[in-house]
Amino acid sequence: MLNSIAFAQTALLYLGYVLIFPGFLFCFVVGLLLTGIDRKVVARMQRRVGPPVLQPFYDFFKLCGKETIVPDAASRTVFLLAPLVGLASLVVLQLFIPVFKFSVFGSLGEVADLIVILYLLLIPAVAVMLGGASTGSPYAGVGLSREMVTVLAVELPLVLVLLSVARVVGRETGRALVFSLNTIVSFQTVSGSLITRVSMIPAALAMLMIIPGETGSHPFDAAEAETEICEGLLAEYSGAPLAVFKLSHAVKLLTMTSLFVALFLGGLGTPIAQLVAAVGLSGELAAAVTMLLQVLALVLLCIVLTVLTISFVHAVTARLRIEQLFKYYWTVVTALALISLVLAWYGY
Amino acid sequence: MFKKLIEESFGKSPWLFHINAGSCNGCDIELVSVLTPRFDAERLGFKLAGTPRHADIVVVTGPVTRQSLQRVLTAIEQVPEPRCIVTMGSCPQSGNVFRGSYAIAGPLSKYVPVDVDIAGCTPKPEAVIDGLVKAAEILREKRRAMK
Repeated sequence: MLNSIAFAQTALLYLGYVLIFPGFLFCFVVGLLLTGIDRKVVARMQRRVGPPVLQPFYDFFKLCGKETIVPDAASRTVFLLAPLVGLASLVVLQLFIPVFKFSVFGSLGEVADLIVILYLLLIPAVAVMLGGASTGSPYAGVGLSREMVTVLAVELPLVLVLLSVARVVGRETGRALVFSLNTIVSFQTVSGSLITRVSMIPAALAMLMIIPGETGSHPFDAAEAETEICEGLLAEYSGAPLAVFKLSHAVKLLTMTSLFVALFLGGLGTPIAQLVAAVGLSGELAAAVTMLLQVLALVLLCIVLTVLTISFVHAVTARLRIEQLFKYYWTVVTALALISLVLAWYGY
Repeated sequence: MFKKLIEESFGKSPWLFHINAGSCNGCDIELVSVLTPRFDAERLGFKLAGTPRHADIVVVTGPVTRQSLQRVLTAIEQVPEPRCIVTMGSCPQSGNVFRGSYAIAGPLSKYVPVDVDIAGCTPKPEAVIDGLVKAAEILREKRRAMK
């Protein structure tokens, strides 16, 4: 009897993780908020009033209320399931990213998170490609090839960045490579954020450049160029599936920025914990207050990173052609990540 | 709760799809000027959609020539319900200076129910925004009537 109660409690806790806190609800609210702030900041930089910050929420609910048209040529199952698979994998991905010291899988010890993250980051892109391609629209065809090139271009520097982070932490903890994000973050809470190290600065810069590419925003939005190929892969989508795709796009902002925070700014949770201790709180209350403050700090950092890497860049650049995008990622960004990897390997 | 939220959102996030049905390009330019920093229709949630599948409001400019009639009707059919049809300029309403021409199949209201007419040759951006806001209101009403 006692056993089953404990089991029910654990199950409820994990359900809460998936549906509420680092999972769906958190992703939904913060992701759409980040998109709204991005649109507002871009508008202000163009001297416009801009849409209200809550505009993405209106867009989402409006699309939910529209009719869903499935094209005759499309495979119904793939067309309707693709957006859900993409969103689900992003929500799962968010569970793997620790909020400073708090991690859903913390009790399981070391988990090979970085590699899982690489795979999970691919799934939304693949889902968009599958869903779009199943419609047979020529716009989707062009979008498909461009999306594939974008994914290829971004993947190489991203792997190198993750490798160099794994190497730095591995070196300090006496192992070759550490792939566990939990370990990487808890290492940073003890010995300071990774961005303060010389060897990690190029990697952090590379990661900042990867964020707009991975989320498909300006100037790397050749795959979903709305002015030339009608948002490419999304051209045939309407109603609720389109809303889910828009939501996944928003959640990806949160995922990428919070991944950056976990990789390079993971040490920032320590002063918050110290502050709470200094005020004189202790026990359960202190833990709760620390948690709350850390989540707020994470959201703030995500907003700052979004404005820095997406809004500013959006407001001052035009769209790159797909081969320019590919060249940029495989030369400039890859070179930065490589410099970091070499420096990390020799222990700077 | 969600029903109310969705209804409210319809008035706040109308996406436009623009069809040129043989227009002289004057209205087309004026429609784009509505989205520029000076008038900034995006503050009301308006956005120009690239494909009819994403649109809520169809803006038709031009006198609906015989050549374009079938294309206009096909494009309007692609827009998911609930949708609004807005004519911009005098041409799609009455034919304007092209009235009586053998090349003209308009006015548009002969073929599809038109929700808002924005008159003028070309209408001022203020008039266009006013018409579009009215269309957004009608859109919300249509959603309310749906279920």
